[in-house]
Amino acid sequence: MTVRKWLDRLWLAVFWGAGLLILVILFSILGYLFYRGWPSLSIEFLTLTPKGLPLGSEGGVWPAITGTVYLVLIAVAAAGIPGITAAIYLVEGKDNQKFKQTINLIVQCMAGIPSIIIGLFGYSLLVVYLGFGISLLAGGLTLGIMIFPLILITARDALSAVNENYRLIGISLGVSRRYILARIIFPQAMPSILSGLLLAMGYAAGATAPIMVTAAVISAGSPGSLLEPVMALPYHLYTLFSQQISLDKAYGTALLLVLLLLAINITALCLRGCKRKGV
Amino acid sequence: MNIFKNRSKLLDRLMDIFCLAISICATLLLLAVIAFMIRESGPVWLTAGPVKIITGTEWNPVLKPPQLGIGTMICSTLWTSLGAIFLASPLGFGGAVFLSEFAPDWLAGIIRPVLNILTGIPSVVYGFLGATVLVKFFEFSFHMASGESLFCASLVLTVMVLPYIVVASESALRSVPSEYRQAALALGVSKQYLTFRVLLPLAKKGLLGALILGFGRAAGETMAVLMLAGNSLLMPTSWFSRGEPLSALIALEIGTSEVGSPQYQALFAAGLILLSFIIGINLFLTFLRRPVGNEVRKS
Repeated sequence: MTVRKWLDRLWLAVFWGAGLLILVILFSILGYLFYRGWPSLSIEFLTLTPKGLPLGSEGGVWPAITGTVYLVLIAVAAAGIPGITAAIYLVEGKDNQKFKQTINLIVQCMAGIPSIIIGLFGYSLLVVYLGFGISLLAGGLTLGIMIFPLILITARDALSAVNENYRLIGISLGVSRRYILARIIFPQAMPSILSGLLLAMGYAAGATAPIMVTAAVISAGSPGSLLEPVMALPYHLYTLFSQQISLDKAYGTALLLVLLLLAINITALCLRGCKRKGV
Repeated sequence: MNIFKNRSKLLDRLMDIFCLAISICATLLLLAVIAFMIRESGPVWLTAGPVKIITGTEWNPVLKPPQLGIGTMICSTLWTSLGAIFLASPLGFGGAVFLSEFAPDWLAGIIRPVLNILTGIPSVVYGFLGATVLVKFFEFSFHMASGESLFCASLVLTVMVLPYIVVASESALRSVPSEYRQAALALGVSKQYLTFRVLLPLAKKGLLGALILGFGRAAGETMAVLMLAGNSLLMPTSWFSRGEPLSALIALEIGTSEVGSPQYQALFAAGLILLSFIIGINLFLTFLRRPVGNEVRKS
Protein backbone atom coordinates (compact mmCIF):
# COMPACT_ATOMS: atom_id res chain seq x y z
CA MET A 1 0.00 0.00 0.00
CA THR A 2 2.69 2.47 0.96
CA VAL A 3 4.71 1.48 -2.08
CA ARG A 4 1.79 2.41 -4.26
CA LYS A 5 1.42 5.72 -2.44
CA TRP A 6 5.07 6.57 -3.00
CA LEU A 7 4.83 5.52 -6.62
CA ASP A 8 1.83 7.77 -7.03
CA ARG A 9 3.72 10.66 -5.53
CA LEU A 10 6.66 9.98 -7.79
CA TRP A 11 4.50 9.99 -10.89
CA LEU A 12 2.72 13.15 -9.78
CA ALA A 13 6.11 14.83 -9.48
CA VAL A 14 7.09 13.53 -12.92
CA PHE A 15 3.96 14.93 -14.54
CA TRP A 16 4.32 18.29 -12.83
CA GLY A 17 7.94 18.33 -13.86
CA ALA A 18 7.05 17.68 -17.50
CA GLY A 19 4.45 20.45 -17.48
CA LEU A 20 6.72 22.97 -15.83
CA LEU A 21 9.66 22.06 -18.05
CA ILE A 22 7.64 23.18 -21.07
CA LEU A 23 7.17 26.58 -19.45
CA VAL A 24 10.85 26.74 -18.54
CA ILE A 25 11.90 25.97 -22.11
CA LEU A 26 9.85 28.79 -23.57
CA PHE A 27 10.86 31.35 -21.00
CA SER A 28 14.52 30.47 -21.20
CA ILE A 29 14.42 30.79 -25.00
CA LEU A 30 12.71 34.16 -24.86
CA GLY A 31 14.76 35.34 -21.90
CA TYR A 32 18.06 34.46 -23.54
CA LEU A 33 17.04 36.15 -26.79
CA PHE A 34 16.11 39.30 -24.89
CA TYR A 35 19.31 39.22 -22.89
CA ARG A 36 21.51 38.93 -25.96
CA GLY A 37 19.44 40.80 -28.52
CA TRP A 38 18.05 43.76 -26.62
CA PRO A 39 21.27 45.83 -26.65
CA SER A 40 21.44 45.77 -30.46
CA LEU A 41 17.82 46.80 -30.95
CA SER A 42 17.78 50.53 -31.55
CA ILE A 43 16.14 53.05 -33.84
CA GLU A 44 19.20 52.98 -36.09
CA PHE A 45 19.08 49.18 -36.24
CA LEU A 46 15.49 49.32 -37.40
CA THR A 47 15.78 52.13 -39.93
CA LEU A 48 19.24 51.87 -41.52
CA THR A 49 20.41 49.66 -44.35
CA PRO A 50 23.16 47.10 -43.68
CA LYS A 51 26.62 48.65 -43.78
CA GLY A 52 30.18 47.87 -42.93
CA LEU A 53 32.56 45.25 -44.14
CA PRO A 54 31.60 42.43 -44.34
CA LEU A 55 28.21 43.82 -45.24
CA GLY A 56 25.81 43.66 -42.31
CA SER A 57 28.34 44.04 -39.53
CA GLU A 58 27.10 47.59 -39.01
CA GLY A 59 23.96 49.47 -39.84
CA GLY A 60 20.46 48.07 -39.63
CA VAL A 61 17.92 45.77 -41.16
CA TRP A 62 15.38 48.13 -42.73
CA PRO A 63 15.40 46.52 -46.22
CA ALA A 64 14.95 43.10 -44.61
CA ILE A 65 11.90 44.32 -42.69
CA THR A 66 10.26 45.79 -45.77
CA GLY A 67 11.19 42.72 -47.79
CA THR A 68 9.55 40.40 -45.28
CA VAL A 69 6.44 42.59 -45.13
CA TYR A 70 6.09 42.60 -48.93
CA LEU A 71 6.66 38.85 -49.16
CA VAL A 72 4.01 38.14 -46.53
CA LEU A 73 1.51 40.55 -48.10
CA ILE A 74 1.94 38.94 -51.53
CA ALA A 75 1.57 35.49 -49.99
CA VAL A 76 -1.65 36.37 -48.17
CA ALA A 77 -3.05 38.21 -51.17
CA ALA A 78 -2.36 35.18 -53.35
CA ALA A 79 -3.57 32.50 -50.94
CA GLY A 80 -6.26 34.25 -48.89
CA ILE A 81 -9.16 34.46 -51.31
CA PRO A 82 -8.72 31.01 -52.91
CA GLY A 83 -8.27 29.49 -49.45
CA ILE A 84 -11.44 31.02 -48.05
CA THR A 85 -13.43 30.28 -51.21
CA ALA A 86 -12.40 26.64 -51.14
CA ALA A 87 -13.32 26.50 -47.45
CA ILE A 88 -16.77 27.88 -48.28
CA TYR A 89 -17.15 25.17 -50.87
CA LEU A 90 -16.14 22.46 -48.42
CA VAL A 91 -18.57 23.62 -45.74
CA GLU A 92 -21.48 25.11 -47.66
CA GLY A 93 -21.31 23.50 -51.07
CA LYS A 94 -24.08 21.11 -52.01
CA ASP A 95 -22.21 18.59 -54.08
CA ASN A 96 -21.35 15.04 -53.22
CA GLN A 97 -19.57 14.12 -50.01
CA LYS A 98 -17.08 11.72 -51.59
CA PHE A 99 -15.55 14.50 -53.64
CA LYS A 100 -15.32 16.80 -50.64
CA GLN A 101 -13.67 14.07 -48.62
CA THR A 102 -11.08 13.65 -51.34
CA ILE A 103 -10.33 17.37 -51.33
CA ASN A 104 -10.13 17.33 -47.55
CA LEU A 105 -7.71 14.43 -47.62
CA ILE A 106 -5.49 16.07 -50.22
CA VAL A 107 -5.44 19.36 -48.34
CA GLN A 108 -4.65 17.59 -45.09
CA CYS A 109 -1.73 15.84 -46.74
CA MET A 110 -0.49 19.00 -48.36
CA ALA A 111 -0.55 20.90 -45.07
CA GLY A 112 2.23 18.64 -43.90
CA ILE A 113 4.54 19.14 -46.88
CA PRO A 114 7.91 20.39 -45.64
CA SER A 115 8.62 23.97 -46.54
CA ILE A 116 11.80 23.06 -48.41
CA ILE A 117 9.77 20.94 -50.83
CA ILE A 118 7.46 23.91 -51.46
CA GLY A 119 10.59 25.96 -52.04
CA LEU A 120 11.87 23.39 -54.52
CA PHE A 121 8.53 23.46 -56.33
CA GLY A 122 8.51 27.26 -56.38
CA TYR A 123 12.05 27.26 -57.70
CA SER A 124 11.33 24.89 -60.56
CA LEU A 125 7.92 26.32 -61.50
CA LEU A 126 8.24 30.06 -60.83
CA VAL A 127 11.94 30.83 -60.97
CA VAL A 128 13.00 28.50 -63.77
CA TYR A 129 9.95 27.46 -65.77
CA LEU A 130 8.01 30.76 -65.74
CA GLY A 131 11.22 32.77 -65.73
CA PHE A 132 10.52 35.08 -62.78
CA GLY A 133 14.09 34.63 -61.58
CA ILE A 134 15.04 35.05 -57.94
CA SER A 135 12.44 37.68 -57.15
CA LEU A 136 9.91 39.12 -54.76
CA LEU A 137 7.06 37.77 -56.86
CA ALA A 138 8.41 34.20 -56.97
CA GLY A 139 9.07 34.20 -53.22
CA GLY A 140 5.67 35.67 -52.35
CA LEU A 141 3.83 33.16 -54.51
CA THR A 142 5.87 30.28 -53.10
CA LEU A 143 4.97 31.37 -49.59
CA GLY A 144 1.38 31.66 -50.79
CA ILE A 145 1.41 28.02 -51.89
CA MET A 146 2.88 27.10 -48.53
CA ILE A 147 0.22 28.86 -46.42
CA PHE A 148 -2.73 28.00 -48.65
CA PRO A 149 -3.62 24.71 -46.87
CA LEU A 150 -3.28 26.41 -43.48
CA ILE A 151 -5.70 29.20 -44.45
CA LEU A 152 -8.10 26.67 -45.96
CA ILE A 153 -8.13 24.45 -42.88
CA THR A 154 -8.61 27.27 -40.36
CA ALA A 155 -11.33 28.90 -42.48
CA ARG A 156 -13.07 25.55 -42.95
CA ASP A 157 -13.06 24.89 -39.21
CA ALA A 158 -14.26 28.43 -38.50
CA LEU A 159 -17.17 28.10 -40.93
CA SER A 160 -18.23 24.69 -39.73
CA ALA A 161 -18.10 25.84 -36.10
CA VAL A 162 -20.97 28.29 -36.75
CA ASN A 163 -24.15 27.10 -35.10
CA GLU A 164 -26.13 24.89 -37.49
CA ASN A 165 -29.41 26.50 -36.36
CA TYR A 166 -28.65 29.71 -38.22
CA ARG A 167 -28.54 27.78 -41.47
CA LEU A 168 -31.77 25.93 -40.72
CA ILE A 169 -33.58 29.13 -39.74
CA GLY A 170 -32.35 30.84 -42.87
CA ILE A 171 -33.54 28.01 -45.06
CA SER A 172 -36.93 27.87 -43.36
CA LEU A 173 -37.37 31.61 -43.90
CA GLY A 174 -36.72 31.04 -47.57
CA VAL A 175 -33.65 33.26 -47.75
CA SER A 176 -31.13 32.47 -50.44
CA ARG A 177 -27.97 30.64 -49.39
CA ARG A 178 -25.82 33.48 -50.61
CA TYR A 179 -27.60 35.84 -48.23
CA ILE A 180 -27.25 33.53 -45.23
CA LEU A 181 -23.60 33.07 -46.00
CA ALA A 182 -22.80 36.74 -46.50
CA ARG A 183 -24.92 38.19 -43.71
CA ILE A 184 -24.96 35.58 -40.98
CA ILE A 185 -22.40 32.82 -41.28
CA PHE A 186 -19.51 34.89 -42.55
CA PRO A 187 -19.70 37.61 -39.88
CA GLN A 188 -19.93 34.91 -37.22
CA ALA A 189 -16.88 33.09 -38.51
CA MET A 190 -14.93 36.26 -39.29
CA PRO A 191 -12.79 36.49 -36.11
CA SER A 192 -11.63 32.90 -36.48
CA ILE A 193 -10.92 33.30 -40.19
CA LEU A 194 -8.91 36.45 -39.49
CA SER A 195 -7.03 34.67 -36.75
CA GLY A 196 -6.22 31.89 -39.22
CA LEU A 197 -4.99 34.47 -41.74
CA LEU A 198 -2.78 36.05 -39.08
CA LEU A 199 -1.32 32.69 -38.08
CA ALA A 200 -0.62 31.99 -41.74
CA MET A 201 1.11 35.38 -42.05
CA GLY A 202 3.26 34.55 -39.05
CA TYR A 203 4.14 31.20 -40.57
CA ALA A 204 5.10 32.88 -43.85
CA ALA A 205 7.12 35.60 -42.11
CA GLY A 206 9.25 33.06 -40.29
CA ALA A 207 9.74 30.60 -43.12
CA THR A 208 13.28 30.60 -44.45
CA ALA A 209 13.69 27.51 -46.58
CA PRO A 210 11.20 28.47 -49.33
CA ILE A 211 12.53 31.99 -49.79
CA MET A 212 16.20 31.15 -49.67
CA VAL A 213 15.85 29.45 -53.04
CA THR A 214 13.24 31.74 -54.58
CA ALA A 215 13.49 35.31 -53.34
CA ALA A 216 16.07 36.21 -50.75
CA VAL A 217 19.57 37.53 -51.33
CA ILE A 218 22.24 38.66 -48.93
CA SER A 219 21.93 42.29 -49.84
CA ALA A 220 19.38 44.35 -51.72
CA GLY A 221 17.68 47.69 -51.36
CA SER A 222 14.09 48.08 -50.30
CA PRO A 223 12.02 46.23 -52.89
CA GLY A 224 11.36 48.42 -55.90
CA SER A 225 9.76 46.05 -58.36
CA LEU A 226 8.14 42.65 -58.22
CA LEU A 227 10.88 41.04 -60.26
CA GLU A 228 13.80 42.08 -58.10
CA PRO A 229 15.30 39.95 -55.34
CA VAL A 230 14.74 41.16 -51.80
CA MET A 231 16.20 40.81 -48.33
CA ALA A 232 14.13 39.09 -45.68
CA LEU A 233 14.52 38.94 -41.92
CA PRO A 234 14.84 35.16 -41.48
CA TYR A 235 17.30 34.81 -44.35
CA HIS A 236 19.24 37.82 -43.10
CA LEU A 237 19.55 36.08 -39.74
CA TYR A 238 20.78 32.94 -41.48
CA THR A 239 23.44 34.77 -43.48
CA LEU A 240 24.58 36.86 -40.50
CA PHE A 241 25.16 33.64 -38.63
CA SER A 242 26.44 31.30 -41.33
CA GLN A 243 28.87 33.81 -42.86
CA GLN A 244 30.01 34.73 -39.35
CA ILE A 245 29.33 38.41 -40.00
CA SER A 246 28.15 39.70 -36.66
CA LEU A 247 26.75 37.71 -33.77
CA ASP A 248 25.32 40.80 -32.04
CA LYS A 249 23.40 41.85 -35.13
CA ALA A 250 22.23 38.27 -35.55
CA TYR A 251 20.83 38.25 -32.01
CA GLY A 252 19.14 41.58 -32.69
CA THR A 253 17.58 40.23 -35.89
CA ALA A 254 16.45 37.06 -34.16
CA LEU A 255 14.84 39.02 -31.34
CA LEU A 256 13.14 41.35 -33.81
CA LEU A 257 11.77 38.40 -35.77
CA VAL A 258 10.53 36.65 -32.64
CA LEU A 259 8.90 39.83 -31.32
CA LEU A 260 7.16 40.33 -34.66
CA LEU A 261 5.84 36.77 -34.64
CA LEU A 262 4.85 36.97 -30.97
CA ALA A 263 2.79 40.07 -31.74
CA ILE A 264 1.09 38.36 -34.69
CA ASN A 265 0.43 35.10 -32.84
CA ILE A 266 -0.87 36.74 -29.68
CA THR A 267 -3.24 38.92 -31.73
CA ALA A 268 -4.45 35.75 -33.45
CA LEU A 269 -4.97 33.96 -30.14
CA CYS A 270 -6.88 36.96 -28.73
CA LEU A 271 -9.12 37.12 -31.81
CA ARG A 272 -9.97 33.48 -31.36
CA GLY A 273 -10.56 34.01 -27.64
CA CYS A 274 -12.95 36.92 -28.26
CA LYS A 275 -14.90 34.76 -30.62
CA ARG A 276 -15.35 32.02 -28.03
CA LYS A 277 -16.74 34.50 -25.52
CA GLY A 278 -18.96 36.20 -28.10
CA VAL A 279 -21.00 33.21 -29.21
CA MET B 1 -41.86 36.76 -58.32
CA ASN B 2 -41.18 33.60 -60.20
CA ILE B 3 -38.46 35.21 -62.26
CA PHE B 4 -36.91 36.67 -59.16
CA LYS B 5 -36.84 33.31 -57.46
CA ASN B 6 -35.27 31.66 -60.46
CA ARG B 7 -32.65 34.34 -60.64
CA SER B 8 -31.82 33.89 -56.99
CA LYS B 9 -31.51 30.14 -57.43
CA LEU B 10 -29.35 30.69 -60.46
CA LEU B 11 -27.05 32.98 -58.50
CA ASP B 12 -26.82 30.41 -55.70
CA ARG B 13 -25.90 27.84 -58.30
CA LEU B 14 -23.32 30.17 -59.82
CA MET B 15 -21.76 30.69 -56.41
CA ASP B 16 -21.52 26.94 -55.97
CA ILE B 17 -19.87 26.51 -59.34
CA PHE B 18 -17.45 29.35 -58.69
CA CYS B 19 -16.41 27.91 -55.33
CA LEU B 20 -16.11 24.44 -56.83
CA ALA B 21 -13.91 25.72 -59.63
CA ILE B 22 -11.60 27.51 -57.21
CA SER B 23 -11.36 24.41 -55.01
CA ILE B 24 -10.51 22.19 -57.95
CA CYS B 25 -7.84 24.61 -59.20
CA ALA B 26 -6.32 24.85 -55.76
CA THR B 27 -6.26 21.10 -55.28
CA LEU B 28 -4.73 20.64 -58.70
CA LEU B 29 -2.02 23.14 -57.82
CA LEU B 30 -1.18 21.10 -54.75
CA LEU B 31 -1.10 17.90 -56.77
CA ALA B 32 1.16 19.75 -59.18
CA VAL B 33 3.79 19.82 -56.44
CA ILE B 34 4.04 16.05 -56.64
CA ALA B 35 3.87 16.08 -60.42
CA PHE B 36 6.73 18.57 -60.64
CA MET B 37 8.92 16.57 -58.30
CA ILE B 38 8.41 13.51 -60.49
CA ARG B 39 8.83 15.40 -63.75
CA GLU B 40 12.00 17.24 -62.79
CA SER B 41 13.64 14.19 -61.28
CA GLY B 42 12.42 11.83 -64.00
CA PRO B 43 15.55 11.33 -66.12
CA VAL B 44 17.86 10.64 -63.21
CA TRP B 45 15.77 7.68 -62.04
CA LEU B 46 16.21 6.13 -65.46
CA THR B 47 19.88 6.88 -65.99
CA ALA B 48 21.20 6.15 -62.51
CA GLY B 49 18.60 3.65 -61.35
CA PRO B 50 16.44 4.02 -58.24
CA VAL B 51 18.29 1.40 -56.19
CA LYS B 52 21.63 3.08 -56.78
CA ILE B 53 20.26 6.50 -55.84
CA ILE B 54 18.55 5.40 -52.64
CA THR B 55 21.20 3.05 -51.33
CA GLY B 56 24.27 4.75 -52.78
CA THR B 57 26.52 6.48 -50.30
CA GLU B 58 28.67 8.53 -52.65
CA TRP B 59 27.48 12.05 -53.44
CA ASN B 60 29.69 13.80 -55.92
CA PRO B 61 27.50 15.38 -58.58
CA VAL B 62 30.25 17.28 -60.44
CA LEU B 63 32.25 14.17 -61.19
CA LYS B 64 31.96 12.52 -64.60
CA PRO B 65 29.99 10.34 -64.45
CA PRO B 66 28.28 11.92 -61.42
CA GLN B 67 27.84 9.91 -58.24
CA LEU B 68 24.36 10.53 -56.99
CA GLY B 69 23.78 8.29 -53.99
CA ILE B 70 21.69 9.91 -51.30
CA GLY B 71 21.72 7.00 -48.87
CA THR B 72 23.77 8.93 -46.32
CA MET B 73 21.28 11.79 -46.34
CA ILE B 74 18.33 9.47 -45.90
CA CYS B 75 20.20 7.90 -43.01
CA SER B 76 20.91 11.29 -41.44
CA THR B 77 17.28 12.33 -41.78
CA LEU B 78 16.17 9.16 -40.02
CA TRP B 79 18.77 9.55 -37.27
CA THR B 80 17.87 13.14 -36.45
CA SER B 81 14.11 12.75 -36.58
CA LEU B 82 13.90 9.39 -34.81
CA GLY B 83 16.28 10.75 -32.18
CA ALA B 84 14.09 13.80 -31.73
CA ILE B 85 11.01 11.62 -31.27
CA PHE B 86 12.88 9.41 -28.83
CA LEU B 87 13.78 12.45 -26.74
CA ALA B 88 10.47 14.24 -27.11
CA SER B 89 8.08 11.39 -26.38
CA PRO B 90 8.58 11.06 -22.58
CA LEU B 91 8.39 14.80 -22.07
CA GLY B 92 5.54 15.18 -24.52
CA PHE B 93 3.40 12.43 -23.04
CA GLY B 94 4.18 13.62 -19.52
CA GLY B 95 3.16 17.13 -20.44
CA ALA B 96 -0.02 15.91 -22.10
CA VAL B 97 -1.04 13.82 -19.07
CA PHE B 98 -0.26 16.77 -16.85
CA LEU B 99 -2.38 19.13 -18.94
CA SER B 100 -5.37 16.84 -19.28
CA GLU B 101 -5.46 15.28 -15.80
CA PHE B 102 -3.36 17.01 -13.19
CA ALA B 103 -2.85 20.66 -14.04
CA PRO B 104 -4.94 23.22 -12.19
CA ASP B 105 -7.02 25.28 -14.62
CA TRP B 106 -4.99 28.44 -14.25
CA LEU B 107 -1.73 26.64 -15.02
CA ALA B 108 -3.19 24.83 -18.01
CA GLY B 109 -4.44 28.24 -19.14
CA ILE B 110 -0.83 29.40 -19.19
CA ILE B 111 0.76 26.30 -20.73
CA ARG B 112 -1.61 26.02 -23.70
CA PRO B 113 -0.85 29.48 -25.11
CA VAL B 114 2.82 28.83 -24.36
CA LEU B 115 2.69 25.75 -26.59
CA ASN B 116 1.08 27.85 -29.30
CA ILE B 117 3.84 30.42 -29.01
CA LEU B 118 6.51 27.71 -29.18
CA THR B 119 5.12 26.54 -32.53
CA GLY B 120 5.19 30.16 -33.70
CA ILE B 121 8.93 30.64 -33.24
CA PRO B 122 10.48 30.19 -36.70
CA SER B 123 12.85 27.32 -37.26
CA VAL B 124 15.72 29.58 -38.26
CA VAL B 125 15.64 31.13 -34.78
CA TYR B 126 15.70 27.68 -33.18
CA GLY B 127 18.58 26.72 -35.42
CA PHE B 128 20.43 29.93 -34.62
CA LEU B 129 19.99 29.53 -30.87
CA GLY B 130 20.97 25.88 -31.06
CA ALA B 131 24.07 26.72 -33.04
CA THR B 132 25.21 29.53 -30.77
CA VAL B 133 24.31 27.98 -27.42
CA LEU B 134 24.21 24.18 -27.72
CA VAL B 135 27.05 23.76 -30.18
CA LYS B 136 29.30 26.07 -28.14
CA PHE B 137 28.32 24.13 -25.03
CA PHE B 138 29.30 20.83 -26.62
CA GLU B 139 32.57 22.19 -27.93
CA PHE B 140 33.39 23.67 -24.56
CA SER B 141 32.43 20.86 -22.23
CA PHE B 142 33.32 17.78 -24.28
CA HIS B 143 36.33 19.22 -26.11
CA MET B 144 34.90 18.26 -29.48
CA ALA B 145 36.59 19.76 -32.50
CA SER B 146 33.24 21.03 -33.64
CA GLY B 147 30.07 20.69 -31.64
CA GLU B 148 27.78 20.20 -34.60
CA SER B 149 26.31 16.73 -34.61
CA LEU B 150 23.16 14.81 -35.37
CA PHE B 151 22.53 14.77 -31.63
CA CYS B 152 22.51 18.57 -31.50
CA ALA B 153 20.02 18.68 -34.36
CA SER B 154 17.87 16.08 -32.59
CA LEU B 155 17.92 18.09 -29.39
CA VAL B 156 16.68 21.24 -31.09
CA LEU B 157 14.13 19.27 -33.13
CA THR B 158 12.87 17.88 -29.82
CA VAL B 159 11.93 21.36 -28.66
CA MET B 160 10.38 22.08 -32.05
CA VAL B 161 8.15 19.00 -32.22
CA LEU B 162 7.28 18.97 -28.52
CA PRO B 163 4.25 21.30 -28.84
CA TYR B 164 2.76 19.16 -31.64
CA ILE B 165 3.16 15.98 -29.60
CA VAL B 166 1.72 17.53 -26.44
CA VAL B 167 -1.30 19.05 -28.17
CA ALA B 168 -2.13 15.94 -30.19
CA SER B 169 -1.72 13.51 -27.29
CA GLU B 170 -3.67 15.75 -24.93
CA SER B 171 -6.61 15.72 -27.31
CA ALA B 172 -6.28 11.94 -27.55
CA LEU B 173 -6.43 11.66 -23.75
CA ARG B 174 -9.38 14.03 -23.58
CA SER B 175 -11.32 12.01 -26.10
CA VAL B 176 -11.54 9.12 -23.62
CA PRO B 177 -15.14 9.33 -22.35
CA SER B 178 -15.52 10.85 -18.88
CA GLU B 179 -17.43 7.77 -17.66
CA TYR B 180 -14.13 6.00 -17.17
CA ARG B 181 -12.87 8.82 -14.99
CA GLN B 182 -16.04 8.84 -12.93
CA ALA B 183 -15.93 5.08 -12.50
CA ALA B 184 -12.34 5.30 -11.31
CA LEU B 185 -13.25 8.07 -8.91
CA ALA B 186 -16.11 5.96 -7.54
CA LEU B 187 -13.81 2.99 -7.03
CA GLY B 188 -11.39 5.17 -5.13
CA VAL B 189 -8.28 4.50 -7.21
CA SER B 190 -5.73 7.22 -7.59
CA LYS B 191 -5.54 9.41 -10.68
CA GLN B 192 -2.11 8.03 -11.47
CA TYR B 193 -3.47 4.48 -11.49
CA LEU B 194 -6.34 5.60 -13.68
CA THR B 195 -3.89 7.23 -16.07
CA PHE B 196 -1.66 4.20 -16.48
CA ARG B 197 -4.26 1.47 -16.45
CA VAL B 198 -7.18 3.11 -18.25
CA LEU B 199 -6.46 6.36 -20.04
CA LEU B 200 -3.14 5.57 -21.72
CA PRO B 201 -4.22 2.14 -23.05
CA LEU B 202 -7.48 3.57 -24.37
CA ALA B 203 -5.76 6.53 -26.01
CA LYS B 204 -2.86 4.55 -27.44
CA LYS B 205 -3.88 5.06 -31.04
CA GLY B 206 -4.07 8.78 -30.58
CA LEU B 207 -0.72 8.80 -28.81
CA LEU B 208 0.87 6.86 -31.63
CA GLY B 209 -0.66 9.38 -34.02
CA ALA B 210 0.92 12.20 -32.04
CA LEU B 211 4.35 10.57 -32.31
CA ILE B 212 4.00 10.04 -36.03
CA LEU B 213 2.87 13.63 -36.51
CA GLY B 214 5.95 14.81 -34.64
CA PHE B 215 8.13 12.48 -36.69
CA GLY B 216 6.80 13.96 -39.92
CA ARG B 217 7.47 17.47 -38.67
CA ALA B 218 10.99 16.58 -37.62
CA ALA B 219 11.82 14.83 -40.89
CA GLY B 220 10.74 17.79 -43.00
CA GLU B 221 12.42 20.46 -40.91
CA THR B 222 15.12 22.33 -42.81
CA MET B 223 16.74 25.34 -41.23
CA ALA B 224 17.47 23.87 -37.82
CA VAL B 225 19.16 20.76 -39.20
CA LEU B 226 20.95 22.80 -41.83
CA MET B 227 22.57 24.91 -39.11
CA LEU B 228 23.17 22.12 -36.60
CA ALA B 229 23.83 18.77 -38.23
CA GLY B 230 27.28 19.69 -39.47
CA ASN B 231 26.70 19.11 -43.19
CA SER B 232 29.22 16.38 -43.74
CA LEU B 233 28.77 13.95 -46.57
CA LEU B 234 30.18 10.98 -44.68
CA MET B 235 27.92 8.19 -43.55
CA PRO B 236 26.92 8.91 -39.94
CA THR B 237 28.26 6.18 -37.67
CA SER B 238 26.68 7.28 -34.41
CA TRP B 239 24.26 9.78 -33.00
CA PHE B 240 27.16 12.09 -32.23
CA SER B 241 28.71 12.15 -35.67
CA ARG B 242 27.99 14.78 -38.26
CA GLY B 243 25.60 14.27 -41.13
CA GLU B 244 23.58 16.07 -43.73
CA PRO B 245 19.84 15.36 -43.81
CA LEU B 246 17.90 15.44 -47.09
CA SER B 247 16.34 18.83 -46.47
CA ALA B 248 19.72 20.41 -45.72
CA LEU B 249 21.19 18.89 -48.89
CA ILE B 250 18.42 20.39 -51.00
CA ALA B 251 18.63 23.80 -49.34
CA LEU B 252 22.40 23.96 -49.71
CA GLU B 253 22.79 22.84 -53.30
CA ILE B 254 19.71 23.78 -55.28
CA GLY B 255 20.75 27.41 -55.69
CA THR B 256 24.09 26.54 -57.26
CA SER B 257 23.08 23.56 -59.37
CA GLU B 258 22.66 24.05 -63.07
CA VAL B 259 19.07 23.63 -64.24
CA GLY B 260 18.59 20.25 -65.89
CA SER B 261 21.95 18.88 -64.81
CA PRO B 262 22.18 15.48 -63.08
CA GLN B 263 22.76 17.29 -59.77
CA TYR B 264 19.55 19.32 -60.22
CA GLN B 265 17.61 16.19 -61.06
CA ALA B 266 19.11 14.26 -58.17
CA LEU B 267 18.11 17.05 -55.77
CA PHE B 268 14.56 16.74 -57.02
CA ALA B 269 14.84 13.00 -56.54
CA ALA B 270 15.83 13.69 -52.93
CA GLY B 271 12.83 16.01 -52.68
CA LEU B 272 10.57 13.33 -54.11
CA ILE B 273 11.77 10.78 -51.57
CA LEU B 274 11.23 13.20 -48.69
CA LEU B 275 7.83 14.18 -50.06
CA SER B 276 6.57 10.64 -50.54
CA PHE B 277 7.80 9.81 -47.07
CA ILE B 278 5.84 12.70 -45.52
CA ILE B 279 2.73 12.04 -47.60
CA GLY B 280 2.86 8.38 -46.61
CA ILE B 281 2.99 9.43 -42.96
CA ASN B 282 0.06 11.80 -43.41
CA LEU B 283 -2.06 9.20 -45.19
CA PHE B 284 -1.28 6.68 -42.49
CA LEU B 285 -2.32 9.24 -39.86
CA THR B 286 -5.64 9.86 -41.59
CA PHE B 287 -6.44 6.16 -41.62
CA LEU B 288 -5.26 5.80 -38.04
CA ARG B 289 -7.61 8.54 -36.90
CA ARG B 290 -10.64 7.37 -38.79
CA PRO B 291 -11.69 4.26 -36.83
CA VAL B 292 -11.00 5.71 -33.37
CA GLY B 293 -14.72 6.17 -32.76
CA ASN B 294 -15.30 2.41 -32.89
CA GLU B 295 -12.80 1.53 -30.24
CA VAL B 296 -13.67 4.06 -27.59
CA ARG B 297 -17.41 3.78 -27.36
CA LYS B 298 -19.10 7.12 -26.93
CA SER B 299 -22.43 6.86 -25.17
